[in-house]
Amino acid sequence: MRLPPGVRDWLPQEFAFKQSVEDRIALVFDRWSYARIATPTFESYESLERGLGEKLMRQTFRFSDPLGEELALRTEMTTPIARVVSTRLRNASLPIRLSYIAPAYRYEEPQLGRMREFTQAGAELIGAAGADADAEALFMAIESLDAVGLSDAHFDINDSAIVDGALVALGLSAPTARLWKEAISVRNLVALDDLARSAAVEMERYALLRRSIVTRGTDDVLAIARELAPNPEAQAAIYRLERILARAAAIGFGARVAIDPALLRDLEYYTGFVFEGFLDDLGFSLCGGGRYDTLLPRFGYDVPAVGWMVGVERILLALERRHIDERRRREVDVFVVGSDRAAREERSRGQRVRVDVRGLDRTAAIAYARHKAIPRVLIARGEEIEEIFLDADEGSPS
Amino acid sequence: MSELTIALPKGSLYEPSASALAAIGIETPSDPGRRLTMTSSDGSAELLLLRPTDVPAYVEFGAADCGIVGKDTLWESDRSVSEAVDLQFGACRLVVAARRSDRYHEGARYPTFLRVATKFKRMATQYFSERDIACEIIALHGSVELAPLVGLADAIVDLVATGSTLREHDMVVVDEIAVSTARFVLNPVAYRSKYAILSSLCERLQRSVAS
Repeated sequence: MRLPPGVRDWLPQEFAFKQSVEDRIALVFDRWSYARIATPTFESYESLERGLGEKLMRQTFRFSDPLGEELALRTEMTTPIARVVSTRLRNASLPIRLSYIAPAYRYEEPQLGRMREFTQAGAELIGAAGADADAEALFMAIESLDAVGLSDAHFDINDSAIVDGALVALGLSAPTARLWKEAISVRNLVALDDLARSAAVEMERYALLRRSIVTRGTDDVLAIARELAPNPEAQAAIYRLERILARAAAIGFGARVAIDPALLRDLEYYTGFVFEGFLDDLGFSLCGGGRYDTLLPRFGYDVPAVGWMVGVERILLALERRHIDERRRREVDVFVVGSDRAAREERSRGQRVRVDVRGLDRTAAIAYARHKAIPRVLIARGEEIEEIFLDADEGSPS
Repeated sequence: MSELTIALPKGSLYEPSASALAAIGIETPSDPGRRLTMTSSDGSAELLLLRPTDVPAYVEFGAADCGIVGKDTLWESDRSVSEAVDLQFGACRLVVAARRSDRYHEGARYPTFLRVATKFKRMATQYFSERDIACEIIALHGSVELAPLVGLADAIVDLVATGSTLREHDMVVVDEIAVSTARFVLNPVAYRSKYAILSSLCERLQRSVAS
């Protein structure tokens, strides 16, 4: 039996590795007081569609139930959460902090770091605008990667208002500006130069824009941005980024956060602040997020929101490459032969207990425990329980 | 380990790619032979020698930080890489061509259901669908110009450098779809994580091309 492309099994050791990473992230969510939430794996396409850009729409697994209702597997968790908040949590006081660790589904070419079923861990801060909320999303992401052992991850931040302001200053119409933004978001300088030539924009101003999108830094980038986008929206965005950088520096994240003016992420989704986290030795980003103030209004609830998510499998990939692997964790603490009472007592003491179901004699029981690297064996002898300790290293009775 | 890994195309683009790198101080062996990897003379870069069509994949996954590849290869791949510099060599045109005797180049109408042979399925599909021309795309891997001569297709979409192959087969260009040159491409994350090296490399290449 073959699995369809893009999905995988998680055998016990692999699952334990994944679980340990998820547990560490869940602990960070808890420490930031983000309540966990779950939503259905599939729901009506009509609802999920409200959060989907053109690309995700093409990647959605769609199907219908026997009555013909059109359903879809979620491609990410933010849209279902927006639906929940704008319907069932409408009366909750704002801001609302929610988190999740859940599988999502996309129809794409399966390849390294990209599967059709994958696990996202993320958090949403709903009902708060401004740099402080943005900073909270960023700091949680940094601490989550720290918690799984990736404390060398770097984070690039940006606000799309800067590029938007620059394109307005160049005098571009909205549809043209859209083409420019697409080229900028993939840092396609060749296409951008072509666009600049055909739009006959002021070359000096274009040179400044071009310089901004090849520059990554902090104060130097802010200085270019101030000149590049004189409109009030962009200037406010620059001020917010400045504030986030200052706060990051104050808690020791300064060297790990930079501004990349070309970072735009999904153009149809994010409305301002965006960020991405990456490692030096992985060719794709690990996590990302940003502000999506227009999503909840699409569900009839006019509140701003910021959120982020990390790909759990991508973390596993990064950890495997560094040989940080917790798979060899002991699975069984004690092997019990012939006594339900002893086994129950051990379980209630928090031990991981394996109970003999084959009626092994003493020699066979010890041999089995040694083979499975179980450090302790309990064997019933009438009313008595014999306790045998096996040396973890040599596997011999001590 | 060198600080940088560069994916280079084997074949006709290798020589000009090596010269472009040499112009900014990254010297490569003149004859790579059958080697798959080599180190630049100054030790600053690890070079991967790849089939041109494989360059985008190596760069997208970060197996190489950057690379050189023809735009024609990027057209057909769905890889997300940053096109940082137009290196301007390896120029060729992607054209619709047909037999001279069919007179499409003089305005004769295409058949109601056009059959087009090509190695450039995506670009051809896009070109004809944008013009509302109903057609069947026949994907081939080489010697595309043979297809109209033996009646497999009414027209071809193919790259033309000098036009001599078309002339030899008594074919003519009907329309030009796009122009391709070699591009210096980047892994989007590598540009951030190796910013100092890669941004300076792009700048030097850009300046060297402009001069």
